[in-house]
Amino acid sequence: MFIYGQDIANFGGAFKATKGLAERFPGRVVDSPISEDAMMGLAIGAAIEGMRPIIEMQFADFSSVAFNQIVNNAATHFWRTGVALPIVVRMPSGGTMGSGPFHSQSMEAIYAHYPGLVVATPATVEDAYGLLLQSIELDDPVLFCEHKLLYFHLKSKGLPDPKSVLPIGKAKVIRNGQHATVVAYSAMVHEAIRAAEELEADGWKVEVVDLRTIKPLDMDTVLGSVARTGRVLCVGEAFPYGGVTAEVVSRIVADGFHLLDAPPQRLNARDTPIPYHPNLWKAHRPTSQTIAAALRELIAF
Amino acid sequence: MPQLGESIAEATVLAINIEPGTTITTDQEIMEVETQKATMGVTAPCPGTVLEITAEVDASYPVGAVLGQLEVSEAEAAEAGVLPEKLPEAKADTPHFGVPADDDDGSATLADPIHPTEVEPTVGGLPVPASATGASYISPRFRARMEELGINASDLASVAGSGAGGRVTVEDFERFMADLESQKMTFASPMRIAVAHSMRRSWARPLATVGTGIALDSVLTHRKTCDPKPGPALYLIRALAIALAEDTSPAGRLIGERVVHPPAIDIGFAVEVDDGVLVPTLKDADKIPLAELLPRYDALVDQARQRRLPREASRPGVATVTNFGTFGIDWATPIPLPEQNLVLGMGMGRKAPSWDAESGTFVPITEAQMTLSFDHRLLDGGAAGRLLGRINALLQDPASL
Amino acid sequence: MADALKERFFAAYRAMVTARFLEEKIAGLYHAGKVVGGVYSGKGQEAFSAALGVCLRPGEDVFAPLIRDQAGRVAFGEDPVDFTRTYLGSVEGPMRGRDGNIHRGRPDKGMPAMISHLGAMIGVVNGTLFAKRLKGTLGDSVGATAIGDGGTSTGAFHEALNLASVEKLPLVISVANNQFAYSTPNDRQFACEHIADRAVSYGIPAHKVDGTDLLACLDTYDKAVSAARAGGGPQLIAGTLLRLCGHGEHDDASYVPADAPHRIDCIEVAEDTFVKNAWATEAEITEVRAACAETVRVALATALNDPKPNPANETWQTTASGF
Repeated sequence: MFIYGQDIANFGGAFKATKGLAERFPGRVVDSPISEDAMMGLAIGAAIEGMRPIIEMQFADFSSVAFNQIVNNAATHFWRTGVALPIVVRMPSGGTMGSGPFHSQSMEAIYAHYPGLVVATPATVEDAYGLLLQSIELDDPVLFCEHKLLYFHLKSKGLPDPKSVLPIGKAKVIRNGQHATVVAYSAMVHEAIRAAEELEADGWKVEVVDLRTIKPLDMDTVLGSVARTGRVLCVGEAFPYGGVTAEVVSRIVADGFHLLDAPPQRLNARDTPIPYHPNLWKAHRPTSQTIAAALRELIAF
Repeated sequence: MPQLGESIAEATVLAINIEPGTTITTDQEIMEVETQKATMGVTAPCPGTVLEITAEVDASYPVGAVLGQLEVSEAEAAEAGVLPEKLPEAKADTPHFGVPADDDDGSATLADPIHPTEVEPTVGGLPVPASATGASYISPRFRARMEELGINASDLASVAGSGAGGRVTVEDFERFMADLESQKMTFASPMRIAVAHSMRRSWARPLATVGTGIALDSVLTHRKTCDPKPGPALYLIRALAIALAEDTSPAGRLIGERVVHPPAIDIGFAVEVDDGVLVPTLKDADKIPLAELLPRYDALVDQARQRRLPREASRPGVATVTNFGTFGIDWATPIPLPEQNLVLGMGMGRKAPSWDAESGTFVPITEAQMTLSFDHRLLDGGAAGRLLGRINALLQDPASL
Repeated sequence: MADALKERFFAAYRAMVTARFLEEKIAGLYHAGKVVGGVYSGKGQEAFSAALGVCLRPGEDVFAPLIRDQAGRVAFGEDPVDFTRTYLGSVEGPMRGRDGNIHRGRPDKGMPAMISHLGAMIGVVNGTLFAKRLKGTLGDSVGATAIGDGGTSTGAFHEALNLASVEKLPLVISVANNQFAYSTPNDRQFACEHIADRAVSYGIPAHKVDGTDLLACLDTYDKAVSAARAGGGPQLIAGTLLRLCGHGEHDDASYVPADAPHRIDCIEVAEDTFVKNAWATEAEITEVRAACAETVRVALATALNDPKPNPANETWQTTASGF
């Protein structure tokens, strides 16, 4: 196993995620040139040789440079050749203030579109830890979307026993309710919880489902929740065209039409590049307030 | 504590290079702090005099926290763009993502990444359908629950809705169903359910009824000459069949923008059976004389009462005749079968005075009310009246039937 | 030494002829409507490709062949039946009908399977070498791959060459300059004087050779591969040649001028070399060609009688973990 990425060795990475690792594992935490395509190609070759490489993209946005290697080479490899590629691509994802159009993107839906890839989107420190360990053990390429809020804003009292962490492909009901379900993942889980808390003051009990991994997508848990509430809002930080929320809603409609008491709704970022100034940025992505407003409309239907 | 880098939430103060009373200049390094990424200097945004320093060395502060106070002139503060903003800023009410709530220094913008001032949901509006009062809008979930319990929308006419626009919700429905448990209930017979189902389908159309009194004397006289004697309903069947053969359009069905004409003039007639009604069909009633129809008619009545109608006779015809007069009823508004446009009814025959212009006196006749119920989309009162008139004329010449 | 060279020359020649016959046979089947996809031949490039193949050590070295490397594949030890089975979509082949023609390989046996996106496989070979070094199994093995004149314009090519040089990997990159990438001539592809100049800025030694002369190719590859084995870092070999067929069987290459340089059949050149050095008689050459033809006949007959993919038997499984 080794980690390959820009500024990850002595510097410890742009987000300090690999801080101290280069000293603990000499030669296995390696600075790469700024060549995302070649980095991903290297990971594929190393995986063919039986290693379990981890690639750190400095920002998820830059994985687009490696897009070809990820979706055409890595994703098709097991299907085409029968040789599995245990690769983890760590992608600092999602928006933070002042980061602008090229350091804020949520790329998960693009990769989930391609057969042969696993896409993890942890919302909590515990899941980020547990799912990362599971992803490394997995024999397939995993796009590991680490929301940047995980690095400095979210805290955990300690790391969980990895065995206690739900496996890849299982969503989790993290808040029980009866009037509506919010399906969310990554940072939006926390926004959804805040919105649910706000609505609870008015007597509405909102269930929150954290998808945890968007591919595989655990529709059993989602449909189970919709069966309890009859109303569903799906929230994602990514752009609104297509994507995870559209996928979840379409599957709910196809497989759970009889469970619905209102048209299922989606809430995403706006259909523009991600803005730089905080005033614009905060109005661009879903927040607890916009989620709460959407939930009120949904419950009023 | 300024935002010192990408996604930095807090920093630790390593050194403080100033003390209260120090005069400082723009960009002067006043503190050294360490983030998880690097060690760097904090500089003064504008010149001024240090009033107080609240920060302590080796302590960590979130981005946006107050580290100290600087006394500056308003002009210099304005020049440096650090006057309190006029923008309506949101106040954080609770800590979020581990970031402490903002202090009173207006730094909430930076300390609280997730708090927009005005909420404008990007989700589309969800208006309840305009007609969705009562049980007229039924969600998929509601529909699934109704199907599970074998309930129809028309069963819920009495349920008061508590949803948006008075809509009946699943919860209203469940309450309604639970209330029923305390009342006496029996199971409806399969025949009752079949009739109910048929009538519910029929009722989806705008139905109207017209009627007129007719003299039955000719029919009754003719009847006496026959052996066996046909019932008045059979005369009615024959007259209706002939009238429709002359003009099939009243018996058509309106489908979209087209009228579907009947392929044959098969006429049904209502037979009361246990807990319901059956409507056997006489095929080609326009082509077969009354005398020949009679044994078929009698046979179908028997078969209907025994619930042994042959399949062919169970297929709906183009119209139905019902002799509700046998129940002592004068007038009714029967409902046509869902597959038909017309139902012709006849009330009880009664002695009535009829003005005889020739003798200048009232003479007694046997009169009954004849009704025609129809789908008003296809037929108007005038056309319905003309059809009744033609049937009446045919009945006055029973030998021709 | 002369015997070793002669032996290597013979091996390369056998691979060239086998490749030529394989491609001619599959082209014939293509025109008979028996091949579901396209047919992409390396006619005229066999010497440049085979010379690389015979300089590699199967089982130790990695070779990621590209489109025109049928001769190199045979020289590296790929079973010709892998070729026929993949072209015909046999379930018995390495790609089992899931991928076809030149998009094949046996990654677990040192031969990664190319994807169509040019330059992508260089990065993959880098990875195999990087991993071998980390695991301590690199020894003096090398990793080789190929590209054409057009492929050297891709970002992937430049990223991967730079990375290989930064990591000092024993990468051998063979650049066949066909003068035309599909129909696009060199002057629309690069503006440096020689295609080998592309290596300079990465600090990679470039070796130039006449790609139609097997003897010269063997000599050049021998030097380059030896340098890589000896820790000299990546090596680029630029061979000048002209393919004697179009981009694929569907293409008559009418865009190539009749007087284009290097319109030379490298197999004929190799046979002249045999005679000139008195390494083989006409009869011996005929015998070798007959043996190659028999190998091809068997490979084709085998694949033609293989079962075709049945969707009902397909697992449709895209991940090893079964998601």
